[in-house]
Amino acid sequence: MNSVVPAPIARQPWGMLIPLFMLVGFGAMVLFSAAGGNWKPFAIPHLVRFAVFLAMAGVMTLFSRDLVRLLAYPGYALVLAMLVAVEAMGFVGGGSQRWLDLGVIQLQPSELMKPAIVLVLARFYSGLPPSMTTSWRALVPAGVLIALPMGLVLLQPDLGTTLAIAFGGVVVMFLAGLPLRWFAAGAIGAMIVAPIAYFFGLHDYQRRRVTTFLDPESDPLGAGYHITQSKIAIGSGGLTGKGFNEGSQSHLNYLPEPHTDFVFATMAEEWGLLGGLAVILIFGLILRWGLQVAHRSQDRFAKLLAAGMVATIFFYVAINLMMVMGLAPVVGIPLPFMSHGGSSMLTNMICIGSLMMVNRWNRQAPQSRFR
Amino acid sequence: MNALSISTAISTGRVNLITTRQRSLTVARWRALWLALVFAAIAAAALVRIAVLGVSDRTTTIASLEEALLPPRGEITDRNGVPLARAFPAYALWYNPRALGEGGSPLVKSAEEVAAELAAIFPDLDQAKVARQLAAGRPGYIRRRVLPEDANRVQAIGELALEMPQETDRYYPQGSMGAHVLGYVDAEGRGQVGMEQVLDRHLTDPALRDQPVALSIDMRVQGALEDELRRGMLAVNALGAAGIVLDVDTGEVMALASLPEFNPNKIDAEGEKYMFNRVTNQVYELGSTFKPLTVAAAIDAGVVRDFGRRYNAEPVAIGGFTIRDSHPLGATLNVPESLIHSSNTVTARIADELGPEKLRQTMIDLGMNERPYIELPARGHPIWPGDDWPRLRNMTVSYGHGIAVTPLHLASAYAAMVNGGVWRPATLRKLEPGAAPRGRRVFKASTSARMRQLLRMIAVYGTGRNANAAGYRVGGKTGSAEKPGAGGYRRSTLVSTFAAAFPMDRPRYVVIAMLDEPKGTTASSFQRTAAWNAAPIVGNLVPRIGPLLGVRPDDARDVDISDLRPLIRGDGE
Repeated sequence: MNSVVPAPIARQPWGMLIPLFMLVGFGAMVLFSAAGGNWKPFAIPHLVRFAVFLAMAGVMTLFSRDLVRLLAYPGYALVLAMLVAVEAMGFVGGGSQRWLDLGVIQLQPSELMKPAIVLVLARFYSGLPPSMTTSWRALVPAGVLIALPMGLVLLQPDLGTTLAIAFGGVVVMFLAGLPLRWFAAGAIGAMIVAPIAYFFGLHDYQRRRVTTFLDPESDPLGAGYHITQSKIAIGSGGLTGKGFNEGSQSHLNYLPEPHTDFVFATMAEEWGLLGGLAVILIFGLILRWGLQVAHRSQDRFAKLLAAGMVATIFFYVAINLMMVMGLAPVVGIPLPFMSHGGSSMLTNMICIGSLMMVNRWNRQAPQSRFR
Repeated sequence: MNALSISTAISTGRVNLITTRQRSLTVARWRALWLALVFAAIAAAALVRIAVLGVSDRTTTIASLEEALLPPRGEITDRNGVPLARAFPAYALWYNPRALGEGGSPLVKSAEEVAAELAAIFPDLDQAKVARQLAAGRPGYIRRRVLPEDANRVQAIGELALEMPQETDRYYPQGSMGAHVLGYVDAEGRGQVGMEQVLDRHLTDPALRDQPVALSIDMRVQGALEDELRRGMLAVNALGAAGIVLDVDTGEVMALASLPEFNPNKIDAEGEKYMFNRVTNQVYELGSTFKPLTVAAAIDAGVVRDFGRRYNAEPVAIGGFTIRDSHPLGATLNVPESLIHSSNTVTARIADELGPEKLRQTMIDLGMNERPYIELPARGHPIWPGDDWPRLRNMTVSYGHGIAVTPLHLASAYAAMVNGGVWRPATLRKLEPGAAPRGRRVFKASTSARMRQLLRMIAVYGTGRNANAAGYRVGGKTGSAEKPGAGGYRRSTLVSTFAAAFPMDRPRYVVIAMLDEPKGTTASSFQRTAAWNAAPIVGNLVPRIGPLLGVRPDDARDVDISDLRPLIRGDGE
């Protein structure tokens, strides 16, 4: 191949990277507008963080499969230890105890747990002989691996992240081929546990979010405020939006958190239905690339790792979009690559980095006969 | 044998391994497909949701600043600009215990202190009750309506929990006056019953609602009409009353009243009972008031040429039915005498000479066969005798039986009879000068001139004497029709009407007063007929409204009746 483009550049996964750059750039524009037409305090840090974490993802890409397999259990243990540390000595912010101040940066270990749970479960199932996937030995250790961080995060309390961890873990178990009836039994169990948890387990503010989600107009100025204002923002955008920097819902502070959780509403107000379609399309391109990477990978570990990472990103996107549109309760989950915020960017870039890493493994190893 | 079995075992193990692998691959593929499908389904749901939110107008309403500054609903005024219906921004006093945030006391001072300060502003406030309400911390109204200056004083108490939300009221400053003309606005903000319903679109249109809509009503005339009708109605214990003052040249309604009335400021079950409009919606057999119309048709057709001609006044026996007069009036009567004494028999004979086609055509020209022409939504359809009138029907219609119309029909017909012969539709909108509709000619101008003389003579010498207000040259005709009940007409249950116009030398306004089931009382000299109850209402009303409408009392002027005067014999003087 005598292409003009040098090979090291040409072999990068541009099918994913270009949509990703567009998305981050678009996110920066929305944040620029959300700050009232200023690069600070949202847009510049957003771009800087992306650059830093992209470099980190690039470094991750170079890890070998054996190294990653080796680090899976210790990494999981380390994040779990940090979660315990949060309980012991973390500081309280925004009503719950989630943050660990490491001096240099403030870290939210529950965010790191999302890729870590995928990694450790992928490692566990890759080591499990296929004939044992239907036995209890496929279920119990994995269940313990998921339940420990879930319990710790629930204590903080952070319902959204707990569900994200559970989702990532369950998707890996599902793809590992555990019997379907176990999932059915789990779903029925969840249905029984959910009302009990709702009445006895949730905090008052969390319970109100659920009731408000079911009927936001019941209290449009109180608990339903977020959803109502967000729907107004999306709805007032119409087909083509009000135009860049013209969104009144975000600029006049009607929309709460216009730069983090509700960034999609801010975007949809200014760019309309077409902007929303573009964002969803770009996410679709990135996730499709991720699934293709999982599909092309040769061994069970890489397959499960890649698919789990895709599921984690997907969970962020889906829950955030549905929350903003009033299809899901308000849980504090930001939109990947668009929302302002370091922790979610870190998590999502770890996912992207893992996918790029698996992509490199695929390229190096020859395709096996069994795909 | 032994070796064979071993080899089989190994091969079976391999086969098992391969099937396991094959099966797990299939499972993995299916699982990945399921996951991708779930992803796609959720993405599709999100897309649909954005489209619904973004494209449908239901989620947001566009409100502009200019619109916010306009009154929420346009004003209605009378013809002189006096407000009849206003959008009234009002304040309420609302207790919001969460104004200072969740937790902690909702008030800065104690509940008792705040209640005492409120009682100082509103002396009629139940201080103990309000103190309990404030202490209980439940949100709710403390007062539904607060004056702006009182709102300022409440603000000065300095309690954030005392909120004064602005609410808009539709306010009718004249109270129940003109209620049937105006109607009211229901809780959903839609106009009902009267012009509020007719003008609903106009009054809520942002482009038009900054300008008040002027009705043809004159508020002063309306007040006088309602006052006199009510007095007359109460004096004779009538079930109800209806009245109308109509401009004969333009068709503008100066006043329109139906009693008992309702209060548009306070709509309740009691009020809803009285929303029925007797002037435009109820049809009555209006009796003798139709006689002048019959005579006018006969004069117009050339059937009545000689006013001295004497008609037989014996009862008319036709088709097993006998038409009589209420009391014997002599063997013969001429046309002026028959109107003055209200003779059924002579009118029936004149109609018989005229023929059913001509009388029917006149009634059609006067709009008696269709709903009355006016803007109001509730308009009653006349009971119209149909196409082919037998001889008897022709005779009964001539004195106002066998046909039932609204009082408004009668007013429009009388206007055409006295204004020179042109029928025009009635309207409740104020017309600019020169904007009156052309109308259609029903009578010749000469016929109209004769009718003015004859109507004036009824008021001077006949049954209308109680309406003859000095100096106002009133002319008009009484009508006392028996109401139909079970098994025929009921002799003592009447609808008594006086249909008048003034001043007769140059008629300007038609006045109709109608009483439903008047009783004989001291006030009416124990009579039930229109001469004793409806005619006095007009006699009292005309001096009140004449000066307001530009008609001055003048004893020196009158319509010239000297050519007909000698034809009247007997008790005229």
